[in-house]
Amino acid sequence: MSTRSLAAWSASGLVIALSTNNPVYRVVVLLCALNLLLARGRRGSGTRILLVGIGIACLIATLLTLLLSHTGQHVLVRLPAGIPAIGGPLTLEALAFGLATGLGIAAALLAVAPLTLVSQPHELVDALPSPLARTGAALGAALNLIPGTLRSAAEIREAQRMRGWRARRVADWPAVAVPVVLTAIEGSMTLAEAMESRAYGTSARTHFSIQRWAPYDTLVSVTALLGVAGFLALVATGGAPGWFPFPALSAPAISVPALLCCALLVVPSLRVWH
Amino acid sequence: MPTLSFAGLHYTYPEAASRALDGVDLEIDFGLTLLTGASGSGKSTLLRVCNGLIPHFHGGVIGGSARVLDRDVIRTPTRELARDVGFVFQDPELQAVYPSVERDVAFGLENLGVARGEMLRRVGDALEMCGIVHLRSRAVGTLSGGERQRLALAGVLAMRPRLLVLDEPLSQLDPEGSAALLGALHAAVQGGTMALVAEHRHHLVLERADRCLLMAGGRVTPCAPDGPVQPAPARARQDAPASSELSWRLHQVTAGPAGVAVLHDLDLAGGTGEVVALTGANGSGKTTLLRTIAGLLPPLAGSVERRPGRIAYLPQNPSALLHRATVRTEIDWTLRRTHAAGRADAMLEEMGLAAVAERDPRDLSSGQRQRVALAAVLAGDPSLVLLDEPTRGMDDAARTALTAALARVAERGGSAVLATHDPQLVAAAATRVVDLGDGVARVRRPLVEAVR
Repeated sequence: MSTRSLAAWSASGLVIALSTNNPVYRVVVLLCALNLLLARGRRGSGTRILLVGIGIACLIATLLTLLLSHTGQHVLVRLPAGIPAIGGPLTLEALAFGLATGLGIAAALLAVAPLTLVSQPHELVDALPSPLARTGAALGAALNLIPGTLRSAAEIREAQRMRGWRARRVADWPAVAVPVVLTAIEGSMTLAEAMESRAYGTSARTHFSIQRWAPYDTLVSVTALLGVAGFLALVATGGAPGWFPFPALSAPAISVPALLCCALLVVPSLRVWH
Repeated sequence: MPTLSFAGLHYTYPEAASRALDGVDLEIDFGLTLLTGASGSGKSTLLRVCNGLIPHFHGGVIGGSARVLDRDVIRTPTRELARDVGFVFQDPELQAVYPSVERDVAFGLENLGVARGEMLRRVGDALEMCGIVHLRSRAVGTLSGGERQRLALAGVLAMRPRLLVLDEPLSQLDPEGSAALLGALHAAVQGGTMALVAEHRHHLVLERADRCLLMAGGRVTPCAPDGPVQPAPARARQDAPASSELSWRLHQVTAGPAGVAVLHDLDLAGGTGEVVALTGANGSGKTTLLRTIAGLLPPLAGSVERRPGRIAYLPQNPSALLHRATVRTEIDWTLRRTHAAGRADAMLEEMGLAAVAERDPRDLSSGQRQRVALAAVLAGDPSLVLLDEPTRGMDDAARTALTAALARVAERGGSAVLATHDPQLVAAAATRVVDLGDGVARVRRPLVEAVR
């Protein structure tokens, strides 16, 4: 699958997730994205860490909405009014709205996650349009420095510990922070020297790896773009109603055409599972 | 017209008080040229003039004439010179631009706008020349130091340079890695590329070099006809003192970073007055062993014993330690933190750093930095000294100073463990050699046999 068609797919999923507060459509986007990640995610790319992070973000969003929004007819519990900000009734409506907000965050993050969890960083760089190719190469090289900087930070902490360093107060930290920063700067200077020495910036770049655009990529891109265009048109004309649980909780309305537009995002996963 | 021609070349770094190059006159036309000289003598500076990193990248004041392949270096940007001049840096970790081997070799060709078919051919040729075709699809992060340095050379050779410049390319490589890199370099020279190599481990390069140059005080002179002087080992101890007490002991230790065992069921001990050299290929577990002895890496199984007292630890990267404004305050910091007696002056003298005591350690050459880092960890009379590749980028004088410092540690009743690829250091300082391979300390050879 070409990185460019994946980018078109991700953008479509992101726009749908952010253009509605109806949890049904968000769930469809989320399931399509999750399916794609499970089917195509690179091994060791950090999918599990991402999912844990998203789960925590959803939990925080739900809790904040539940604790801070005191409106709604169905009261679950009342906190003493004297407690600043969170004191007062905690309602079922607030809980539902919090869950829907968390769902939106999860759907949006999962929609863009395949860009880094399915594609390699250098494939993303290669997918940039020609005017951005040089900047992309520099960005890719900079990303390459991150693991080394993390290793060096751990090494520096160890080395200073052996010289008697202990982290007791703020004033102790420069002994670690200064070498970490300076080493990172020196590392980037050396990398810049190495890039310059290998003719970086000389002329129009060519690409070693060509991302082939297959008919399947056309199918993925066209269905994703059709899906988002159709969904936005339905939202604009009232054909894809949103959802608001206040003052009394109600089930979200479902529009079959809008649901079908969202479901078009399942195309990349279908081929993999097949 | 010579390939490389410098006349009256002088250069001063920005904000520096004195010239780094002070009237270099040099003409080289073909073959392999070895450039030697003490740390801080100006070797790296001279090499960086060859591809225009000096003055175009570093700034500063340059004068005289510098022509490479009939181009005026002072007026031609580095990226243009890069079409004909390839440069390999000392640190193999900091040269890779892309995360995969094949892509990284192609980086320079992409910049030159080479067509894809030609690019594929040249990448294949370069990988073959450097003997790393089998690594073609590997991730750069999984390569050993030696493999990375050969990757850096392949990336440069793919661009088919007419002049190849290498700055301390062997300083972090084990003997096998060094031999492979030199083989690739030799093949390039046989193919008509001219090479200029700065290297402290000059004995490795000398036998294949067409000429040898000595850099001193910012000037270049020819070496003696038989090459640079090879100092005799300053001291060669054969045995640990008979009365030595236990300094450290590993009992049935299995150890490795991130829970992955690199060393298995290791039983090893060192006594007071002993200097143990750990040898073995890149990735054999020398650093893991040092960190385990130091207590920085808890063993996965087994136990570690240490005699009470301060442990001095030098990591592979000397920059990891340096954070003070001057060399002197860097040493003072250790003395203060460890509540140790003693003054920085003695250590400055011992390590030959008195002349640079008031300079910022990060403004020094890599060899001088290594010495500052050593002085910083050895200050305060530690009872156990653990050094990871302590002679990286060091000149002969600094190695001699280190050997003397280790001798003093041993005579005082301390002990030391060195992870090193440097046979000269092993010969001069070690009382025992432990070879690591496949995670096992298989052989504990007496010194004479190990050096042979």
